[in-house]
Amino acid sequence: MSLLDEQVSVPRRTMTLFFLIDTSGSMEGNKIGAVNDAVSNVLPMLDEISAENPDAEIKVAALEFSSGTNWLYSEPKLASDFVWQDVRAGGLTSLGAACQELSTKLSRSGYMKSASGSFAPAIILLSDGGPTDDYESGLSKLKGNNWFKAAIKIAIAIGDDADKDVLKQFTGNSEAVITVHNIEALKQIIRVVAVTSSQIGSKSSTAGDTTKQDQVIEEVKEAVENIDGAEAASSVDSSSYDDDWD
Amino acid sequence: MIALNHECQGFSHIESGKPCQDNSFSEVDPKGIAVAIISDGHGGKRYFRSEVGSKLITGITRDKMMSFISNFGDSNLKHVSFTSRKSVKTQIEDEDFKKQDKIDGAFRQLFGSIIYDWRQKVEQHAEENPLTEKEREGLEESWIRDFLDRENLEKVYGCTLIAAAFTPSYWFAFQIGDGKCFAVNEGGQWTEPIPWDDRCFLNKTTSICDTDALDEFRYCYEGDGKIPVSIILASDGLDDSFGSEENQANFYVQILKSLIKKGKFETEKDIREALPELSKKGSKDDMSIAMLYDEKKLRNMYKIFLQWQIDNLSHHIDEQNQKISEANKIQENLESIDSPTKQNLIDLQYANKDYDRAIDERSRLQERLTTLKEELAGS
Repeated sequence: MSLLDEQVSVPRRTMTLFFLIDTSGSMEGNKIGAVNDAVSNVLPMLDEISAENPDAEIKVAALEFSSGTNWLYSEPKLASDFVWQDVRAGGLTSLGAACQELSTKLSRSGYMKSASGSFAPAIILLSDGGPTDDYESGLSKLKGNNWFKAAIKIAIAIGDDADKDVLKQFTGNSEAVITVHNIEALKQIIRVVAVTSSQIGSKSSTAGDTTKQDQVIEEVKEAVENIDGAEAASSVDSSSYDDDWD
Repeated sequence: MIALNHECQGFSHIESGKPCQDNSFSEVDPKGIAVAIISDGHGGKRYFRSEVGSKLITGITRDKMMSFISNFGDSNLKHVSFTSRKSVKTQIEDEDFKKQDKIDGAFRQLFGSIIYDWRQKVEQHAEENPLTEKEREGLEESWIRDFLDRENLEKVYGCTLIAAAFTPSYWFAFQIGDGKCFAVNEGGQWTEPIPWDDRCFLNKTTSICDTDALDEFRYCYEGDGKIPVSIILASDGLDDSFGSEENQANFYVQILKSLIKKGKFETEKDIREALPELSKKGSKDDMSIAMLYDEKKLRNMYKIFLQWQIDNLSHHIDEQNQKISEANKIQENLESIDSPTKQNLIDLQYANKDYDRAIDERSRLQERLTTLKEELAGS
């Protein structure tokens, strides 16, 4: 009888990828269409990463926020199972409420398992404007959450009207904010960020002392250089692109 | 009382050529005093001599515990009921600060002496072992400068520590950092007697190398005759492989059952074989385990452990039955709709998947249950 016979379970750990999607009125039209298209197309890629990874399985959760907040499903779903339901734009930008809601779910009574059964989550925030509610108190609560502190956090600023200072506060790093100026760039960046975060976030070992967030930023920045209409936040002040959402 | 321990290099350490940074120790002296200790050296490059730090701390802790037992324990811990103390830092944060009594003072002195001696030994090791060219590779300039200036030297050797001691009339255990300490009583109930510290989360941990290490120790003691049948200490390489406390306790039940059936020698061999395999399948990290057990009490517990496993499996089968029934209700409701919406179809798809998964999981659990029931009947 081996000590690791069929009576002992050694489960794969779980890495949850969160999409936080601004569905306010200004996202209406091509922007929200591109988000729906890109996220639904990236899910099979996440499933592939999960299937090939002996260390962890990848689950996906999505929260839309406008005048209120809404989780697409009441629990994270395996990437292989997640059926994307197109989100629609309309209303305000309640980022503070979204932060509060995310903080509630980043707990064992919410969407997370025990820390020993999990990798830190990856959180991708997409927004094209500035918050219309008291985002500071929501963000302050979220920043006290241990899962959030450990998470890979990347923000995608959709166009020049996005409040990049707020997105920087959310990610805790200006380099983790990527700005996109057209539909094609938005689609490509969603794919790059989701795939890179999932690949790095679901690995057991990290490259030396570099945090997983920094590893994701490095890889995304390299990809951004080859995407027309996308730029890393550090170059935003001297943007070489005009917004084009037609 | 019997003691055993083992540590092994993690799968990822083998692949990257890193040494095993865990260390473990256990012994039973002629007076029947048993000690188990593990230490997990930190993995980051900043802690480039953590495998030395973990070796140093286990030796120092053993000596300090023995001296604590002979100078303080016997006259002060006998007849004391179970008491556990969170780290002082946690008590302050929780506004739950406990007034320190004589016993707390003695433990604080024990921890202070461990930290002091460890720092002395670290200084000595650094003096006797200058930085090598190989060590310099990949180090930040500021870390090299710190080492040469003997600044923050303890970071270089940083590690965690868990220790437990059984004496004929009382026992105690203490910890700084991550890893887990499990205890099992004669009824087969598992507990984690040392309070947890929320600062140990994912890859963050408190450490003997922290400037306020003294306030980060947490501990427990008991002298009213209720000594656990076994206490098992393990580094986070083990915790992270099991995902849940129940899974981890189940692995320990396998070890204890093996000790009853096959004895210490064979079980040690099994542990040596199992840990590298577990590291490869699970966390990929170094693994260390140290345990103490009362052989006489353990001898009668085989059926209790089997029953514990059977009860857990039966509970999980019930959970799967519940899932099957819920999924079934959703399937029936949605299939009765004449013109289902897109949302209805998505929900039905999820219900079908949940149903299939629960059926598969239940049948896997039932197979395990059958094996255990056969084992119980034959024991």
